[in-house]
Amino acid sequence: MATATKKKKASGNAKGKTAARKAAPRAAAYTPPPKFPISFTVNGQEVRAEAPAHTSLLYLLRDLGFTEVKNGCEAGDCGACTVLLDGVAVNACCALGVQADGREITTVKGIGTVDNLHPIQKKFIEHGAIQCGFCTPGMIVAAYELLEKKPRPTREEIKAGIAGNLCRCTGYVKIIDAIEAAGGEMASAKGRKS
Amino acid sequence: MRGFDFAAPTTIQGILKAAKGKKYKFIAGGTNFLPDLRHAHDGLPQLVIDISRVDALRGIALAKGEVRLGALTTMTDLLENKIVAREAPILPAMAAKFAGPIIRNRASVAGNLIDGGPAADAAPPLLALKAVVRLAGPAGKRAVPLDKFLTGYRKTAIKPGEIITEIAFPAPGKSHKWGYYKLARRNAMAITVVGTAVVLKMKGNVCQEAGISLGSVNPAPSRCYEAENILEGKTVDLVLAQKAAEACRAASAPIDDIRASAEYRKLMCEVLPRRLICQALNIPLD
Repeated sequence: MATATKKKKASGNAKGKTAARKAAPRAAAYTPPPKFPISFTVNGQEVRAEAPAHTSLLYLLRDLGFTEVKNGCEAGDCGACTVLLDGVAVNACCALGVQADGREITTVKGIGTVDNLHPIQKKFIEHGAIQCGFCTPGMIVAAYELLEKKPRPTREEIKAGIAGNLCRCTGYVKIIDAIEAAGGEMASAKGRKS
Repeated sequence: MRGFDFAAPTTIQGILKAAKGKKYKFIAGGTNFLPDLRHAHDGLPQLVIDISRVDALRGIALAKGEVRLGALTTMTDLLENKIVAREAPILPAMAAKFAGPIIRNRASVAGNLIDGGPAADAAPPLLALKAVVRLAGPAGKRAVPLDKFLTGYRKTAIKPGEIITEIAFPAPGKSHKWGYYKLARRNAMAITVVGTAVVLKMKGNVCQEAGISLGSVNPAPSRCYEAENILEGKTVDLVLAQKAAEACRAASAPIDDIRASAEYRKLMCEVLPRRLICQALNIPLD
């Protein structure tokens, strides 16, 4: 039975294909969108890339292998893609890749690595502020900027500082605990140094 | 996607030159541009011009009694700038409630206004401050008062080839009183349900000049001229504040939407201005 069906299909297709080839108009040759050179640094490494102008910074970074920058909403609402652009926290989904030309990007891996954890990362681990981990890179970058601007934030200030970073798992309390603790540790480390 | 061309000039003249004869779109911070790109209501542009590298569009200055905000002033700039904090604290009050900290780092004042949206948070305080929008274009420079610049739902008086260079307003002075309230469903990252701004220049209890505006309750953010007239030249008390608030309510034409009903918004257009006027002037609300 299967063979019979196959034969039927084959002949049917051959007829269709010939008909289709005759009817199709000659389409214009495909031209891809223009690509633009983007020369920038990511976590101190020099990167040279090329991308169409419509590529967001988020897509550009992820395509270049910086997959720690997460895609949560592509609308500037969730903060999963938060990176530092010339030291300023931005949503990578709301910038064009071409806008990064000549600039410095810092992702969470530029703040601390597995071998060299930043106090914020240490406290996130210690306080159980990570469940699925998807919001964590963006959350840490946001926390980093917050603690730069306000070394010992109150819990209300922490909430305001992470207002652009959504977490579906933790309920935020342990994230706030971790940032508060990190702020304390960083401030006392500074105090000891001076 | 067809893809577009891209230019990143570093001067205002460079912007005007790049824009000439093209179906272009400007990008500054990108916080409206990128999310809107997927909808592309009016089609994709041929050319995207990145204006964020034009230093002439940045900076906040106080000159000849006027506060000048460069078009690229971000909401974070409004929060951190000392001139604005001293001369027009209503602006950092608005900025503190605008979206969230990360968006604020990129969202520009001009971008918020040019979007023309009814809920543009920067508009009510700037309207109450009687701000003017300054533009540069192929025909030269011109200035349009903000209340004439915002012409309708997502419509502004900008002409093709023009760019906003700065937004300026007369410094309201040390004795001015002000109030700002953003009614919304969340404390952050929320689209405004009713936005209210009040700027009052007082001499004792007498109001010399009033700027009162509402956002999210009309096709475009707008001033309540009748409410302003009710207060100007008079001693302001609760009765007068109530009259002005009623005029605000009458001047609003809100819609029902997913965030709130028109009926609720209409009521808030009376409650919030009355509250702001009274709080600004230390008039007990009871």
